[in-house]
Amino acid sequence: MTRKQKRLSVIAGALAFLGAATALTFYALGQKASYFYMPADLQAAVLQPGQRIRLGGLVAAGSIVRGQGTEVAFGVTDSDKTIEVRYTGILPDLFREGQGVITEGSFGPDGTFVADSVLAKHDETYMPKEVADSLKEKGVWQEEATQ
Amino acid sequence: MLFWVIAAVLTLGASLAVLLPFTRPAEGDADKSHDLEVYRDQLSELDRDAARGLISAPDAEQARAEIGRRIIRLDAETATGSRNASASVSRIVGVAAVLAVPVISWSIYTAIGSPSLPSQPLSARLAENPANSSVDDLVGRAEGHLIANPSDGRGWDVLAPVYMRMGRSEDSVTAYRNAIRLLGSTAARQAGLGEAIGGASGGIITEDASKAFEEALKLDPANPKARYFLALALAQEGKVAEAASAWRQMTAELPADSPWRAVVDQSVAQAEGQSAPPAAGAAPGAVAGAATGPNQEQIDAAASMSSGDRTAMIEGMVATLDEKLRENPRDPEGWQRLVRSYVVLGKTEQAQEALGRAYAVLGRDSDDGKKLSEFAASLGLKVTE
Amino acid sequence: MVEIGHFALILALALSFVQSLVPLYGAHKGDARLMAIGGPVAVTGFALILLSFVVLMIAYAVSDFSLANVWENSHSLKPMLYKITGVWGNHEGSMLLWVLILTFFGALVAAFGGNLPATLRANVLAVQGWIGTAFLLFILITSNPFARLSPAPIEGRDLNPILQDIGLAIHPPLLYLGYVGFSVCFSFAVAALIEGRIDAAWARWVRPWTLAAWVFLTGGIAMGSYWAYYELGWGGFWFWDPVENASFMPWLAGTALLHSAIVMEKRSALKIWTLLLAILTFSLSLLGTFLVRSGVLTSVHAFASDPSRGVFILCILTLFIGGSLALFALRASSLSAGGIFHPISREGALVLNNLFLTTATATVLIGTLYPLLVEGLFGEKISVGEPFFNLTFGPLMIPLLAVVPFGPLLAWKRGDLAAVAQRLMFAFGGALLVALVTGFFIDGASVFAALGAGLAAWLVLGALTDLALKSGIGNVAPRIALRRFIGLPRSVFGTALAHLGLGLTLAGIVGVVSFQSEAILVMKPGQVLQIGGHDLRFDGLRPVRGPNYTEDQGHFSLLGVAGQPIGELFSSKRFYPVRQMPTTEAGIRTMGFSQLYVSLGDETADGSVVVRVWWKPLVTLIWGGALVMMVGGFVSLLDRRLRVGAPTRRKTIEAKPVAVAQ
Repeated sequence: MTRKQKRLSVIAGALAFLGAATALTFYALGQKASYFYMPADLQAAVLQPGQRIRLGGLVAAGSIVRGQGTEVAFGVTDSDKTIEVRYTGILPDLFREGQGVITEGSFGPDGTFVADSVLAKHDETYMPKEVADSLKEKGVWQEEATQ
Repeated sequence: MLFWVIAAVLTLGASLAVLLPFTRPAEGDADKSHDLEVYRDQLSELDRDAARGLISAPDAEQARAEIGRRIIRLDAETATGSRNASASVSRIVGVAAVLAVPVISWSIYTAIGSPSLPSQPLSARLAENPANSSVDDLVGRAEGHLIANPSDGRGWDVLAPVYMRMGRSEDSVTAYRNAIRLLGSTAARQAGLGEAIGGASGGIITEDASKAFEEALKLDPANPKARYFLALALAQEGKVAEAASAWRQMTAELPADSPWRAVVDQSVAQAEGQSAPPAAGAAPGAVAGAATGPNQEQIDAAASMSSGDRTAMIEGMVATLDEKLRENPRDPEGWQRLVRSYVVLGKTEQAQEALGRAYAVLGRDSDDGKKLSEFAASLGLKVTE
Repeated sequence: MVEIGHFALILALALSFVQSLVPLYGAHKGDARLMAIGGPVAVTGFALILLSFVVLMIAYAVSDFSLANVWENSHSLKPMLYKITGVWGNHEGSMLLWVLILTFFGALVAAFGGNLPATLRANVLAVQGWIGTAFLLFILITSNPFARLSPAPIEGRDLNPILQDIGLAIHPPLLYLGYVGFSVCFSFAVAALIEGRIDAAWARWVRPWTLAAWVFLTGGIAMGSYWAYYELGWGGFWFWDPVENASFMPWLAGTALLHSAIVMEKRSALKIWTLLLAILTFSLSLLGTFLVRSGVLTSVHAFASDPSRGVFILCILTLFIGGSLALFALRASSLSAGGIFHPISREGALVLNNLFLTTATATVLIGTLYPLLVEGLFGEKISVGEPFFNLTFGPLMIPLLAVVPFGPLLAWKRGDLAAVAQRLMFAFGGALLVALVTGFFIDGASVFAALGAGLAAWLVLGALTDLALKSGIGNVAPRIALRRFIGLPRSVFGTALAHLGLGLTLAGIVGVVSFQSEAILVMKPGQVLQIGGHDLRFDGLRPVRGPNYTEDQGHFSLLGVAGQPIGELFSSKRFYPVRQMPTTEAGIRTMGFSQLYVSLGDETADGSVVVRVWWKPLVTLIWGGALVMMVGGFVSLLDRRLRVGAPTRRKTIEAKPVAVAQ
């Protein structure tokens, strides 16, 4: 092979590699990115059974029910609609009624949302960004309500 | 003054740093020797790599030739030489640079600095007015003392009821426990502990709290606080009749001037009226802000509230206080309480507004007005207007 | 005198402004005096910002709440250590630390850059000056730590309790030393583009800076990971959170830069590519700062942010990244190409490394920014988490790690793959053995676990093989081998250690991901839990009062074979009254390289407590490996070759004959 051919083959190899990586990345984005929904959005959404999503909203007042041992159920609401969420494990420190949370998981066969992770922020003034945006659209929540 | 001197010295120093290179003669440029040095080093390294077998002999030879070519190219470049700027232009740029330093810094600082404000470290602020510091201040000092001397039982004993009055029930629990541990158990301390536990659990007399009250009664069977709250515990369990009879017995035995009389009478009346019993917050001096007296429903609600809702209730209580002061404004202490409450709730604007109303009634320069000014300043409010 | 600090900061801005223009003009005109201004100005600017930083620190130490920043983030009862670390535990203070480190590096270049070509030095300092000016303006306009309050409030609002930890003392400074260290590489790259040529001395200078920045960034990321692990109480060591990715991207790009700089320094090849990487690495550092500071992305551990700041940083970002890339596009073609090499060679291996690492960086970048893009274009909100990164980042890393041991053994210019493979037979056999033993003899091991363990062993053994071969162990008498071993260049040790550390980190990750066991249960006092072959007894909750918090401390005993307690473990729920904020303090006990991790949940009515317990085998290797990598980088930094700039070095070489060349 001449030097030019060699160089061309190296470049071709690199391009093929990059192409494969790009294809993989976009495949993964299509498969593995989870969509974020507020409870009211779910009516319009088409979900495959078992599809992972993120569900965000406020913890509905008076909805926290502790079951056996470490099971807990609570409602996530955006003031229009409330979705019941079940979770097993330790809730975040700042998990409170009226606090913004993001839960991640999928819908079980009985229509409740089974979450495997619950995020509440580690800061008392925190409102998850997606939740804040959606709630602002609905006019439920205003920034810096304390001042 | 000192500040301006230091600032001037700093500015001078900074300008000198810009000036420094002009005091030295211009040096010649020896750029190319750097590169040559590097290439030489690459050559010697190549030899070492070849000796260690990291590069094969023919390849090393080729690499040597490559480096050699670069050295030759370098020599060719050296011939092209460097340009020289005219001395006058460079002097103008230099002078501009030296001047830019004070001009930029002083104009920005005058715009955004606060040169007249002194530093105010905590120690200085605490030393300032020991006579008329606020409760927060005193508590802060006591806490500082207790961190240094955690085995000072008397300190905990003094602080425990103060915490309770400030609404810091959980701290109060710890303080009472420490006082009991260090100084021994007394009826007053046990009863206080019980009340604090009750306060910390939102007004519910829990098992722990009941234990503490029972301990208090062992030491002093007549302790009114313990008796009152144990009866309340009965009421909270739904044994309203038993609670009422316990309270009635208390009324019979309490001295006529006892501060408990009114509370107990009220409780009896409510128990007989079959309404739900009050929570711990209704006891005299139990919870901050209670002076205006939340009504029965509010207290009931408080018992089962989340902290966010409790804030809402406190806001309601503050609003009531506000109303009361509109009707009955000659109340310097009431105004202090109101201003403080607003500050605690983070509503600085309302606090300022309340302050303004208080001045209108009390007069800015009256004794009460001055006290209020000092108090407001200690909370971080603006009093200059 | 708080205002002195404020004034010093503004004065530093003025100097920075001068530094960004005058040396550049001097270099353009070839005026030695104007060029020389850069040096003293950079050093003085650093001294002024240091003064300002010290003033702020003192204000924190004495609780001077007349400073809004101190009032917002401190409390008089806070322990002194956290008062000090609180200085950079908030936005304003951390930006000041950022600039402090930036000017520190600038001052280092000024102080030790005497042997650099004068124009290069002047241009580098000017570019440092641009960055400094931009960030000082940012601080003074949007986030001034010296804003005052009058009268001073009585008590401060306290630092976010999550941040009241020794981790804060170490993590941000290390991370910033890394981020900002790359600014020097960036400045060198831009300076070279301005001049339109790369001196041979360029790579000599850039490599140690890259190495130093890389060492710090490695430490910062590892420390941050460990901090999140024990402080957040979730027991995870990496969350693929945008903030973590923000620090990981410069690390990946920096690692690529580190490797391509070797080629450039030794062989004067890959010049243009190295230049581009230097620009990209610092751009990613800036992007990281932007992502963390602007709050445009949802992150579990970003703290309060302000959109106006975001816009400002976005402007800085656009200016620097766009400007430098435009300059690159204009000038790169004028740079001369370097030495030629065969695809199978040390250079080729390093190019492969770069290809993988930059692709991995791009993957992480896409995963991090994709949600922003989708929201901007379609208004849909999505999140990209662990599953995405496992599917994309994983497949890129596995082949990269598999070829790592080959690299250091390949010859420069033209290598012999078969010969290298033969030399690695022993390491390969060992790795295979480890994989088989893991797969067949450890319960619950998956194919992935076996392969992962094998790969980790491959990396470790490959690094050791490299050292053994280079010192000739097995080929020459042991004494000679030992002498050769001691005489090996430091950079050889550095490489071996860094690759070995990588293997250890991988071993830790495989251990935790494949073999960790977890239990969530309600424990009554006296109850015993069996996990990971250990017996853990819950002894009850006790209230404790700390300086500025109260806590319920759960006591656990580790039981020996006969049921006697052999160790204690405390895990607690803390409450910080000033911020009305609860936190979880995990109880961790290290046994060998493994850890038992206990996190407390809520107390139930009957005095029992929800407890989450993990047995994490080999988990400490994750950070231990990073530490070994850091040591590797540090040892490399000590290499004679890198310690000094180009000239003045010949004497040392002569004085210290090279023991290897026998």
